[in-house]
Amino acid sequence: MIQEGVQRFAIPDCGPRKGDEASREVCRAVTQVLRADLQFENLFKFVPQSLMSAIPPMDPENPNFADWKGIGASVLVITRAQVTGGEATVEVRVHFVDTGQSMLAKRYSGPADNPRVFAHQASDDVMTLTQYRGVARTKIAFVSDRDRVPGRATKEIYIMDYDGYNPRRVTVNRSLNILPNWSPDGRSLAYVSYRRGNPDVFVASIYEGRSADLTGDKGGAAFAPAISPDGKRIAYASSRAGNMDIWVANIDGSSPRRLTSTGALDTAPTWSPTGQEIAFTSGRSGSPQIYVMDTEGLNVRRLTNVGSWNDAPAWNPSKQFGEIAYTARLENRTFDIAVVDIATRQVRQLTQGRGSCEYPSWAPSGRHLTFACGRGGKWQIAVADRLGQTITMLPAGPGKNEQPDWGP
Amino acid sequence: MIRLARAWLFLAVAAALAAGCGGKKRPPAVATAPPPSSAPSGRSQPTEVPPPVETGPDVRAVDTEAARGEDFTVSNPETGEGGPLEDIRFEYDSANLTDHARSILEKHALWLQNHRPAKVLVEGHCDERGTVEYNLALGEKRARAARDYLASLGVSTDRLRTVSYGKERPLDAASNEAAWAANRRDHFAVSR
Repeated sequence: MIQEGVQRFAIPDCGPRKGDEASREVCRAVTQVLRADLQFENLFKFVPQSLMSAIPPMDPENPNFADWKGIGASVLVITRAQVTGGEATVEVRVHFVDTGQSMLAKRYSGPADNPRVFAHQASDDVMTLTQYRGVARTKIAFVSDRDRVPGRATKEIYIMDYDGYNPRRVTVNRSLNILPNWSPDGRSLAYVSYRRGNPDVFVASIYEGRSADLTGDKGGAAFAPAISPDGKRIAYASSRAGNMDIWVANIDGSSPRRLTSTGALDTAPTWSPTGQEIAFTSGRSGSPQIYVMDTEGLNVRRLTNVGSWNDAPAWNPSKQFGEIAYTARLENRTFDIAVVDIATRQVRQLTQGRGSCEYPSWAPSGRHLTFACGRGGKWQIAVADRLGQTITMLPAGPGKNEQPDWGP
Repeated sequence: MIRLARAWLFLAVAAALAAGCGGKKRPPAVATAPPPSSAPSGRSQPTEVPPPVETGPDVRAVDTEAARGEDFTVSNPETGEGGPLEDIRFEYDSANLTDHARSILEKHALWLQNHRPAKVLVEGHCDERGTVEYNLALGEKRARAARDYLASLGVSTDRLRTVSYGKERPLDAASNEAAWAANRRDHFAVSR
């Protein structure tokens, strides 16, 4: 088991098994992406490249561990690759430098045109040596107007790799499609579409290319879908009973039940990791604040008590962290991401000075989160560690990119 | 019959899309047999045989059905301009009708009396401040405020529908007080 914060990784440049440009290209990509993936995990230290370049060329089959020990490495990751006929083969070996012990040895093969996928898989395999699940193969769903129809202000749902690469469009209905939310198995996305002229909740089986209407034709708006951790139920905000309330239904839309019934606006439900509680925004105190209730709508209590506007909660899905991220309006009237510890009510502010930031969503491990920042027509998606020490804007492509939801 | 025809259309479009994507579909990287152990010492562990990666098709586009509910053709949803009925505006974070908004709605009620059987879709819109979700709820409240006032002036509710666009379709994408004021509005899309 690799302990966090202790190990110092050396990831030297990948060694192409053949001298051709295709093999070297795959090698370069694998090295670069694997380094980025493992750094993003925020668990390890790394030997700087300047020190690694001082090591004499090594025989990958028989590395001289003393050399690596000499520059302070404790874990050595050796990568090799070759491309034959458009097919890439990538090998990854992980050794403890102290003992030379082999911790992991894997060979991956597949089409050579997206070598990032090998590195992502290797990173997740390295993470199996820790107590945490790797993030490298997770996907982020988001909303973009990049394919907007002129004169109609359309938005569609897309998914991309967690690092912003490989965006793919999911909806193609040329209407307004917003507020995506992943199912826990990563095979479906709940979202809101105006394709009937009114906001309704749909669930798309993204790998089958099907979608089902959960809330349509019942009057009123339905939006802000949130699928339960067991994938069996879905919470959303709906005005079909007149006022905007939180509802819960089975995942196929059957047996809808209203959980809130004050005259205030209740929106943005999010499930606790156990699926036994729901946090949501309510204006019942006069300003938007975050409340928690059980899934019967009982035991309602206010969670946030600092600030005049606390909205759109996202409950950390890891039971290890009892905390909720949300969007807070601060003194200077911009909106920023904050996290409240449920037990202590202590608040930490994650963002500052990036325009407005909103729509936080946690990675499945709860160790990272994503959100969107911007103003006016310019919004882009960011990822951060859960303490907000490193915030990275993703290369999410053209258009206004917003409303990210981090999925499996 | 119509439903059947639509189902066939859907299948045809889906098939066309599938055919179009066929060339790009790739299996994900698959871990195959492990390389030989390279540990130089006697402490080497047996390398594990990794399970095959789950294979599955790439994401295909969903929602091939074209958007419906776009039959309110008078207004330009991009700009909100056009149409015989003037927008009404709101204060920040408020769905209360101002005196000025009420006077505009009174004119709208008169116009609707003289233009039967025209119907109106009241679109509630918000400025960019606040969350997507909050503004969808606020926009709904703004649309209903205008609908209820028009109804109180004698316009049949059969002729009035509401929809909230929250902050998703701003009139002015700029980020300043003037843009925000213009974006906090009810727009009235008329169909005849």
